[in-house]
Amino acid sequence: MADNEVVIIDYGMGNLWSVASAVKFLGFIPVVTSDISIVSSAESLILPGVGSFRRAMQELKSASIDQAIFKSLENPKTKLLGICLGMQLLGVSSTEDGFTDGLGLVKNTVTKLAGSNEVSIKIPHVGFNRVQMPKESKLFDQISIDASFYFVHSYAMQILDDFSKYATTTYGQEFVAAIESGQVFGTQFHPEKSQKSGLKVLENFLR
Amino acid sequence: MLTKRLIFTLLYDGGSFMLSRNFRLQKIGDLDWLEENYGFSTVGYAIDELVVIDVSRQNRNTPQFCEDLKRLTRDCFAPITAGGGIRTLEHVHQLLRSGADKVVVNTALHDQPELVEEIAAELGRQCIVASIDVQKINGVYQVFKNHGTVKVGESLDHVLLKCAGLPVGEIHIESIDRDGTGNGLDLEILEFIKHVKDVPLILMGGIGNADHIIAGLKDNRVDAVATGNLLNFMGDGLARARELAINGGVILPKF
Repeated sequence: MADNEVVIIDYGMGNLWSVASAVKFLGFIPVVTSDISIVSSAESLILPGVGSFRRAMQELKSASIDQAIFKSLENPKTKLLGICLGMQLLGVSSTEDGFTDGLGLVKNTVTKLAGSNEVSIKIPHVGFNRVQMPKESKLFDQISIDASFYFVHSYAMQILDDFSKYATTTYGQEFVAAIESGQVFGTQFHPEKSQKSGLKVLENFLR
Repeated sequence: MLTKRLIFTLLYDGGSFMLSRNFRLQKIGDLDWLEENYGFSTVGYAIDELVVIDVSRQNRNTPQFCEDLKRLTRDCFAPITAGGGIRTLEHVHQLLRSGADKVVVNTALHDQPELVEEIAAELGRQCIVASIDVQKINGVYQVFKNHGTVKVGESLDHVLLKCAGLPVGEIHIESIDRDGTGNGLDLEILEFIKHVKDVPLILMGGIGNADHIIAGLKDNRVDAVATGNLLNFMGDGLARARELAINGGVILPKF
């Protein structure tokens, strides 16, 4: 594959057009595909997605895309970005529609967003929100601390005390807004929907 | 903290973009006109969300709408919601493949509530914006469907109670009386939202200037306001209105 090609995994879940447009806008070549031979040999991978965690895992498994993702990551040069549901799928499990195992590329779990006794929240969490960024982050390099990003979700990834770098957002509770763990990256927000700041996050991942 | 949202709504009819007054439509211009006067690749930075509704009443051409939606949103890196005449899950998928992140359902809320369940089961409730059009008749907010042409026969209160039982991600209420008048939002509608206070609320109809945007967004029951007036905010109008709203104390993201 050419160096500037970016494989966007198509498994029938959500808006791939916008992710592809953003990749193209940044000067890379988007390759939208469900072909497992292309996925398994990719060096730059994006796993987008909106919708049901359970349904998404079923789609990934039935097409053996999960195995292709694992294979691609055997190459130490490969990097993977999960967006929104795509980030949640990187985790070990979700409680959406019962209990479903995820890809397990990071150790975090996904649970429904909850308020507290003091704060009741509207669900889904939809709109632009700020994030608390990690120090020395690849994704948030050169991004203003008061930047806002577009979120739309009802479930959220829980923060762990591990070696991953987390960006966090608070909405009723604190949750993972973005994660960087070795070759694996994720954003709960949509970088392709977050105007200039979002495009910069995407560009930081791609470079 | 979560910011409020300023939404721009485009009404599409067979390749043209329409100005609406009390739900009567007038053709303003085509995609080229829109790009010339708004250029969403730049104005995109002044709005928090773009909504595009296919209001074609005869000969709805969904493939053409999808092509135009793609062209319109190619360099617009903001959330996109699309809709108009959605009756099948396949229609929803077509819109999501063409740049939409969420879909608007209006008539189907009343005629096919099972479709709402079906969309949510596959794509999640956050994908669905429930749109309700109301007109005040003898002091009661009556709900209309089919782009304001058919009276549902239920009051806003009843319809919201029904929506509270459906898996929808946002509620969008538009005043037919205020639509296109520029007289300001009808904030009285907010007295009726008790059934859906756990779901984000978008209010539309009547925005003519920045003060109307501020009045809506400063109300803590309102999460977002939408304007569809193609002539009020031409050029840098949206950007200036946004700046006035931020200076007026509304919490909006800074792009």
